Amino acid sequence: MNAVLTGLFVGLLFGFALQRGRFCMNSAFRDIVLVGDYTLLKAVGVAILVEMIGFSLMAMTNIINLNPKPLMWGANIVGGFIFGLGMVLAGGCASGITYRTGEGMVGAMVAVLGFGLGGLMTSTGLLKPISDYLQTTTKVMNSAGKALTLGNIFGVDNKILMLVISILAIIVWVVLAARNKSTEAPEKSPSLGEAIFKHGWGWKATGIVIGLIGMLAFPVSAAAGRNYPLGITNGWINIWQTLISWKNVTDSGVKVVTLNWEGGEIIGIVLGAMIAALIAGEFAIRAPEPKIILQSFLGGLLMGFGATVSTGCNIGHILSGVPQLSIGSILGGISIILGCWTMAYFLFIRPMNA
Amino acid sequence: MADVTPTKTIDERGKICPYPDVDTMTTLKKMKKGEILEVLVDYPLSVERIPRSAQKAGHKVLKVQPLDGPNHSILIEVLGLK
Repeated sequence: MNAVLTGLFVGLLFGFALQRGRFCMNSAFRDIVLVGDYTLLKAVGVAILVEMIGFSLMAMTNIINLNPKPLMWGANIVGGFIFGLGMVLAGGCASGITYRTGEGMVGAMVAVLGFGLGGLMTSTGLLKPISDYLQTTTKVMNSAGKALTLGNIFGVDNKILMLVISILAIIVWVVLAARNKSTEAPEKSPSLGEAIFKHGWGWKATGIVIGLIGMLAFPVSAAAGRNYPLGITNGWINIWQTLISWKNVTDSGVKVVTLNWEGGEIIGIVLGAMIAALIAGEFAIRAPEPKIILQSFLGGLLMGFGATVSTGCNIGHILSGVPQLSIGSILGGISIILGCWTMAYFLFIRPMNA
Repeated sequence: MADVTPTKTIDERGKICPYPDVDTMTTLKKMKKGEILEVLVDYPLSVERIPRSAQKAGHKVLKVQPLDGPNHSILIEVLGLK
């Protein structure tokens, strides 16, 4: 089937779930230090665990071939940190600003423009040498020339380690949750239709649904020639490239430039989020003050640069790479979180306590 | 519950994440015990998160009222237990 169409389909599901679950990693990481709220972080945790089990089982049954990103420590650290700084300025992570574009938020639309432009400048333009330098000089592979994973570092099968880690993590989580019986207010139970279409989803439902969509994305995307689960950054870059230098045929060494799976996925996310927001009555074109719009754009540029240097955004690294136990993605993910906390401190926490 | 008159109203409509939350918490800190803050907000995540964080900070959420479209009015009584 057409790669763009299958990408669009997965994107529609993903966008719908992102909007319903308000799934944003910028909020997830920032809320821990800003307001002491762990709701979204728990949703992220559930999604990663569902994927880790799913990817492991699908790899064991040869439905997918795991494809962890290689470690490029300098690029992962610098790029991830800059991406993390940028997402606080932009008011959302890569998936956050993408789904909020579909909610009609002008701040997010401006942020994705900056994100795509920053990514394009870094992947093919003026800033490419910086990215190339960091990536090539700090790339470390294992002795067999494979990407480093927790599995091959400890000399065990990565698929099995994924399963073991995820099951242990679930046991620890359940035990901890049972020990400090949370005081979460029991939610009113609306009808199923209302729960899906009208109310925001709880963290468990959000995490499970997004984890399942991530599982679906892997084989579907692989069938389209892109062996990786969900991603965001290269999708926006692909849309820009297609708009600017579309080439239908290969001529005189110029590569075909056309919409690909990830570009289709992005269009799907925006549309899926728009549909979800419209049904729930949450869609509205709305804009923040001019200063914040400019801040969102600059944040987007930093995110595009950072994600391209680091070879992944919060989705490529944290949602798709961490479950595959890629060392590069784990390092990139930690750097994103540290960047997020640093900017959140200067932008919100310090002024709030002043 | 009888209608309450807010002591203060802040309009957070159109603002991006997490400004509605940060503005609410900063304003709550500056208010006195017993006063009522009304927050007008249209950002779905903040509609759900502001009541959570206000409660966590020891205040009392009186009402979350849907208005037209994505707009909501949140009424919070300042208790400031923390």
